[in-house]
Amino acid sequence: MPYRLEITLKPDLSDPEGMSIKKKAQEYFGIHIESVRTIHIITIDADLSEIQLKQIQDQLFTNPVTQISSFTPLSLEFDQIIWVGFRPGVRDNPGATAVEAVEDILKISLGKDEAIYTSKRYCLKGINLSSEHAEIIAARILANDIIQQWKIYSKESWEPETGIGIIIPKVILDHKPTITSIPIDSDNTLKKISDQRNLALNPNDIPIIRSYFLRQDVAEMRALAGLSEPSDIELEYISQARSDHCNHNTFRGLFKYQEGHDKPVEIVDNLFKTFIEGPTLELKDKKEWVVSVLWDNAGAGRFDENNYYVITGETHNSPSNMEAYGGAITGIVGVYRDPLGTGKGSRLIMGSYGFCTGHRDYNGSLKPRLHPRRLLDGVIEGVRDGGNKSGIPTTFGQVVFDKGYMGKCLVFVTAVGMMPSQINGEPADQKTTSPGDLVIMSGGRVGKDGIHGVTASSESFSENTPAGHVQIGDPYTQKKMHDFLLEARDKGLIAFITDNGGGGLSSSIGESALLSNGCEIQLEKVPLKYEGLDQWEIWVSESQERMTIAVKPEHVEEFMALSGKHAVESTVIGQYTDTGKLHITYEGKTCAYIDLDLLESGFPQWEFDAVWHSPENRGLCEPVISPPDNYEKLLKDMLSRPNICSKEWITRQYDHEVQGTSIIKPLAGAERDVNSDASVIRPLLTSQKGLAFSQAIIPAYSAIDAYHMTACTIDEAVRRLIAAGGNLDHIGGVDNFCWPNIQYDPEKNPDGKFKAAQLVRSCRALKDMCLAYGIPLLSGKDSMYVDGHLAGTYGETHKISALETIQFSCIGVIDDIDKCVTMDAKIPGDLVYILGITRNELGCSEYYEHMGYTGLNVPHVRTDEFIPVYKGLQKAITQGLAASVHGIYRGGLGVHLAMTAMGGNIGMIVDLDEVPVENELENDRVLFSESAGRFIVTTASKNRNEFEDLFDESICSRIGTITKSKDFFIKGKDGRSIIDIPVHELKKAWKAPLGGLI
Amino acid sequence: MKPEVNVLVLTGYGLNCDTETAYGFELAGAKTERIHINSLIDGSVSLDNFQILVFGGGFSWGDDHGAGVIQAVRLKNNIGDQLLSFVDKGNLVLGICNGFQTLVNLGLLPGFNGDYTTRSVALTFNDCGNFRDDWVYLKTDPESPCVFTRGLDQLELPIRHGEGKFYAEKPVIDRLIQNNQIPLRYALPDSSPAKGQFPWNPNGSIYDIAGICDTTGRIFGLMPHPEAFNHPANHPDWSRNKEAAKRKGEQINTGLTPGIMMLKNAVDFIC
Repeated sequence: MPYRLEITLKPDLSDPEGMSIKKKAQEYFGIHIESVRTIHIITIDADLSEIQLKQIQDQLFTNPVTQISSFTPLSLEFDQIIWVGFRPGVRDNPGATAVEAVEDILKISLGKDEAIYTSKRYCLKGINLSSEHAEIIAARILANDIIQQWKIYSKESWEPETGIGIIIPKVILDHKPTITSIPIDSDNTLKKISDQRNLALNPNDIPIIRSYFLRQDVAEMRALAGLSEPSDIELEYISQARSDHCNHNTFRGLFKYQEGHDKPVEIVDNLFKTFIEGPTLELKDKKEWVVSVLWDNAGAGRFDENNYYVITGETHNSPSNMEAYGGAITGIVGVYRDPLGTGKGSRLIMGSYGFCTGHRDYNGSLKPRLHPRRLLDGVIEGVRDGGNKSGIPTTFGQVVFDKGYMGKCLVFVTAVGMMPSQINGEPADQKTTSPGDLVIMSGGRVGKDGIHGVTASSESFSENTPAGHVQIGDPYTQKKMHDFLLEARDKGLIAFITDNGGGGLSSSIGESALLSNGCEIQLEKVPLKYEGLDQWEIWVSESQERMTIAVKPEHVEEFMALSGKHAVESTVIGQYTDTGKLHITYEGKTCAYIDLDLLESGFPQWEFDAVWHSPENRGLCEPVISPPDNYEKLLKDMLSRPNICSKEWITRQYDHEVQGTSIIKPLAGAERDVNSDASVIRPLLTSQKGLAFSQAIIPAYSAIDAYHMTACTIDEAVRRLIAAGGNLDHIGGVDNFCWPNIQYDPEKNPDGKFKAAQLVRSCRALKDMCLAYGIPLLSGKDSMYVDGHLAGTYGETHKISALETIQFSCIGVIDDIDKCVTMDAKIPGDLVYILGITRNELGCSEYYEHMGYTGLNVPHVRTDEFIPVYKGLQKAITQGLAASVHGIYRGGLGVHLAMTAMGGNIGMIVDLDEVPVENELENDRVLFSESAGRFIVTTASKNRNEFEDLFDESICSRIGTITKSKDFFIKGKDGRSIIDIPVHELKKAWKAPLGGLI
Repeated sequence: MKPEVNVLVLTGYGLNCDTETAYGFELAGAKTERIHINSLIDGSVSLDNFQILVFGGGFSWGDDHGAGVIQAVRLKNNIGDQLLSFVDKGNLVLGICNGFQTLVNLGLLPGFNGDYTTRSVALTFNDCGNFRDDWVYLKTDPESPCVFTRGLDQLELPIRHGEGKFYAEKPVIDRLIQNNQIPLRYALPDSSPAKGQFPWNPNGSIYDIAGICDTTGRIFGLMPHPEAFNHPANHPDWSRNKEAAKRKGEQINTGLTPGIMMLKNAVDFIC
């Protein structure tokens, strides 16, 4: 019999969750609520005695100091009640821990059909609070109908004895697992079935697949195994392996690139090989610190003699766009499995985030699934819970607002790990599977999660249909697995390890079996969350928190014992072989028997037409703006712009100190509130060495040319690293492309050829920059199809495509963290220098955007000119000559001088006449040009000569002084004061838009 | 030669500060071991070999059903007696963040009249409504019997929690004050009490309580993280202080940090 326990805070304690709902209802929808009290509901679907129930109520679920609870509905005052619970099959993390705890206290095991579920009931009070208001609060603040269900009760409809009743979101699949044969009598038949079953087979792949199964030798071999036509599980395997996600068909495609309609066609065969693999291999030979690139889940570089760091980054865009919290937490927890599955396993040491969404205050007519503000709230919380509960510091992060992300948001997550260079004398970065090794799945169980991503959204929900396509990451389960696997690694028990991400077992086993050249899997051994999954579903499910590990038979006992100690579920599900076959059985019957080398046999390359139109030909030109005369207001307004203003409220929600490694924190300065250029950690507590890390995202420049967008993004990431004390000789890079659809279609994607050309140009810039700066690409990912269709006012829909976006990450080793520098000005009397030349490059700048223009003169990266500057600055930092270093990024010199001053909470006087410029520039151009390659440095006046000697005088100029008075003073070109304003006023403007958020 | 001090730092089930906590105690001169909760429960490791037991930070059981609650229940049900006899022998217990939450749920704190099983204080959701990472100013109570805060007057440490608001009924708070069981309070930069002001009091703790001890001073729990201040460069003002010192021709202090001094107090007490 099920029981329902309601728990709430004692009436005299404040309810912060309730207060936050009250605040959001007021700010987001103008709904005034007097108070909200939260009731936690535990629904226990298990046979327990009264004594047992009392025991768990008192010991586990009720804090005697702060809470009251009851197995009958608590009678709190209300005008409206909202109940919110999960849909069936959605990961209920507190429900799962409740089972663990109840079993521990009562020394029982819950039965197969027994479970515990959690939900919440909110009691809202307010005169005039209608059920319509409650509906808005439920649907637009508290719950997302993809994963949650809710009910609203008014005073009239609430029955005090019954309450919400007993709601059990249990998955019931009354289904016998079935293997289905797929007819392949014609291409057309297979195409139809592919569409019906959401196999997403590429039409060009279909003849290849058919011809394989029709081959006589294949048919004979399959007949022996008891198979004829391909089974659904076999086609799912092929479909997963051939998907753009796993196979990177776009980046490995053939591009027919033209500089214009009438220009000759240039063939670019395989972007990945040409622009990523090629330069990286070239650099690997030159850089002795590069350990492992281009094959594993993450790339590795040498930290010191005995340790390697590993890094990778990815995106989780589509799921986050549907269910922000679930998508984002799944994304961060997922990327953390990549280092764990790199080499024989790496310990996670830091993470970072990059969020791109529509504007928080959007109030236009298009209707995104989630309002950008709510979407951002959810994404922030998802990455927060995923990172914090994993015990991994989140040391860096950025947010970019642009209307182009209304169609689909971007959620970038990056993970850094560390492994010893050797384990028991064996290289830790190497791993392989061998015939006879056991295939073990560790971690979570398998359900209908993440199967085919979006297919489930086309099914209608019933009370017991699992919500398949959106998952909720479970950092707790993963943290236990992380600790377990590292201990197993150190005992030498792991031969091979990889994570289960996209494609589930199909990918992890399919790929690892290539090394031994075969495997036999007994699919019925895979532990399931609930019965009733078809074999193919078990095979491709993307249920989270799972790793696939190869363990030698002689180690399996020790491995399993260790797994038990860590309370982690591990199961032997098969073994690796050298038969050349992927052989899957279910209860003794073969359901897949397929040659592993099938995937290498002549699948056609994807092809794209790519036609570039220069910005001039697209009619872009420079705006005609006369120099303003109110620079004080202009600067304050620039500082208040969404992409510049303070976002401290986000940063402070992320634990950046855990592991005790924090050296340069995300926020720096006298008041610890201004963003650092990069982060630095000291990952080995016994060492003075550090890891510096930075990222940049500047999609705005793509409106002019994605080549320069990419070049500037990379340059910014490099400068950020150098500013903190990084070393140009050791920079590893990670490229994350997020691009709108580039496949031309005259109706659905009329500008596809242009977007394809933008991609080619972006890749060219990537290669040019990496070679010039000497950055091997340790890792990278691409995420295509950043487009969305939004409903408009009249029942029409609009396709919204994101700006072509790349996030570039830089990582490097710092020899002595004591040399690191922060960005804040420090001491009155210090000299203020600018390094680099300011040019008339305001195309797509914040300034032009602020004025409503695009412009034409996008900033260019001149590596030959910049590199000597970076090297000089590096020397200055190592010699202790720089008191503060800050790069000049979005917003230009004016904005970033303000940052330096606000960081120090100290005044400065600057003369724009001293800024080295190319040609004559007006004050506004000098202040707001976004020319790349520049820094602001402050140094003690006694260092003047020594500092200046490090640079060519054409690019290094003393432009001012740090002052005791807390005034920000700028002298214009004609010697007139154009800005004279207290620093705290600048900070007030900078914090005005979002500073009130906590 | 000084006797060896053995420190046990708990791990497992979502705990996560074990590495730096163990390192901090090593710096403080102890020998440390990171031990999985289940190794204590199954008896493969015995508390008898240790003099200091550390409940470290993290998210045990995901912080579900109240931070530290399930950890406390699991330990109480399985090795509750061993914990009590460990305390009884005059050993030390330290709870940091999630560990503090666990100690109050176990009833090891506040431990009035030697009662180490009653829950009478709680750490609940921050008033600010969110998880928060920041450095805080702290003031110690020289009158407190607390072993860990001896000789420390004011210090700064990082906090990182969503459930750090110290709460108890007024008579309990009064008793804590009376017994000098509040060795650590959130303060303003000038070390006067924060009086509840955010962000100096980051969570709305009653009486600005950041840490409490039992009446013997040997059991101590605190929300801030001493182990995360294990190197001078962990401090947020480190680069500013370094620059200022350089101008005066001075070196910045490279000795033990206040965070490690807190751990060293414990080690010295055993020696």
